[in-house]
Amino acid sequence: MTGAPPPDPLAELPWPKPVAPPAELSASIRKSCTEDIQSRRGLTASQRLLASMALSLGVFAVLAWLARGHSTDATFRAALFGAAGWGIVQAAVLWAGLWKPPGKRGAPHLRLVLAVVLPIAFLFYVGFVAPEWVSFGEFAQGDRASHAVACGFVGLLFSAVLSGGVLLLWRGTDPLTPGLTGALAGLVGGLGGGLAIGVACPSHEAWHACFSHGLGVLAFVGLGWAVGRRLLTP
Amino acid sequence: MNSDLGTRSADASVEELMDAYVDGSARAFDELYRRVAPNLFAYLLRLTRNRERAEDLLQITFSKIHRARSSYLRGAPLLPWILAIARRSFLDERRSASTRSEELSSDGTLPEPRASEAELPADLSDALERALDNLPEAYREAIQLTKIAGLSIAEAAGVLGATETAVKLRVHRGYAQLRKHLETFHRHT
Repeated sequence: MTGAPPPDPLAELPWPKPVAPPAELSASIRKSCTEDIQSRRGLTASQRLLASMALSLGVFAVLAWLARGHSTDATFRAALFGAAGWGIVQAAVLWAGLWKPPGKRGAPHLRLVLAVVLPIAFLFYVGFVAPEWVSFGEFAQGDRASHAVACGFVGLLFSAVLSGGVLLLWRGTDPLTPGLTGALAGLVGGLGGGLAIGVACPSHEAWHACFSHGLGVLAFVGLGWAVGRRLLTP
Repeated sequence: MNSDLGTRSADASVEELMDAYVDGSARAFDELYRRVAPNLFAYLLRLTRNRERAEDLLQITFSKIHRARSSYLRGAPLLPWILAIARRSFLDERRSASTRSEELSSDGTLPEPRASEAELPADLSDALERALDNLPEAYREAIQLTKIAGLSIAEAAGVLGATETAVKLRVHRGYAQLRKHLETFHRHT
């Protein structure tokens, strides 16, 4: 026979009540928190999101401007279209992972999937759209290798600037999942740096694109996780 | 909008009070403290099992809230936000002190149970308190947040940095242990 579920035997227990702190302590806390109190309104979530996007766009625009003429028009245009698409992805990550207030950002495991899948997808993207392909042995020697190292270093530098900027813009906003939010901030910064260097770099070879433009995104997801745990907690 | 919250603060939600506090309303802070502090203090007491440490952590938590009030994102559920700050302060303090939550006696050994702990509980409340104290920390915290502080499973998972499934499991296992403890109490009375 099916009926209503059996009542919870622990439901009617005299659960402990909240405990009022000592009056002296309360008075001391009240005094320190309200003495000379003034309005201290920080940036809203929307303002932080716009500033994060502006930062990314700014770095991208500067590098794209410096790089004009390095590539053929068709290659440059293709890189710009790709960057526009990934820019939308960046905005979506910022919206889903940082813009919504903590506690309303959806299931952590879904955000974790974003933080893991998107860098890998970006790595595949830069490898597959590259118009040139050489063997790994050829890539790993001589001028190609030294150019890849130099280019990767510059990409990491820009990614660091962007990730740091995004993390600072969202500093202290998430005590609930600071590591995960930091990883997504790192993802946004890493993508920004990878896209910017992808447009600026004259090399369009697949290994180079993967190692020097794409791999940094994964690194910044990890770094964002580590730094976010400290920086995003109030 | 928030400036008139001071006069009607009794009707406002804690999130609205936090907004008004961010805008500089001392009265909103008073009301916010009145509503939140008892829950927070109870949580810290059970976490530390030490009144002095709980009082220190309460002060530290409110000091952090005060300093970080400009980074509170409007609309964030406030109680989980505050409890997460308190929990992290507790973990930081525990890490830096590198001490166990039990207090050692002067010769460095664990203290003997107090006389009251060796006796049978006086009533069901007392039995429940002792049963809660005897639970493993993870179960105790999950039950404290969901059953006593009144958070949802999702909110408790946020505070604990765990998945909802893990919190449900901890609550379930904690309940099973509580039930055992309380059955023992009922058999003796």
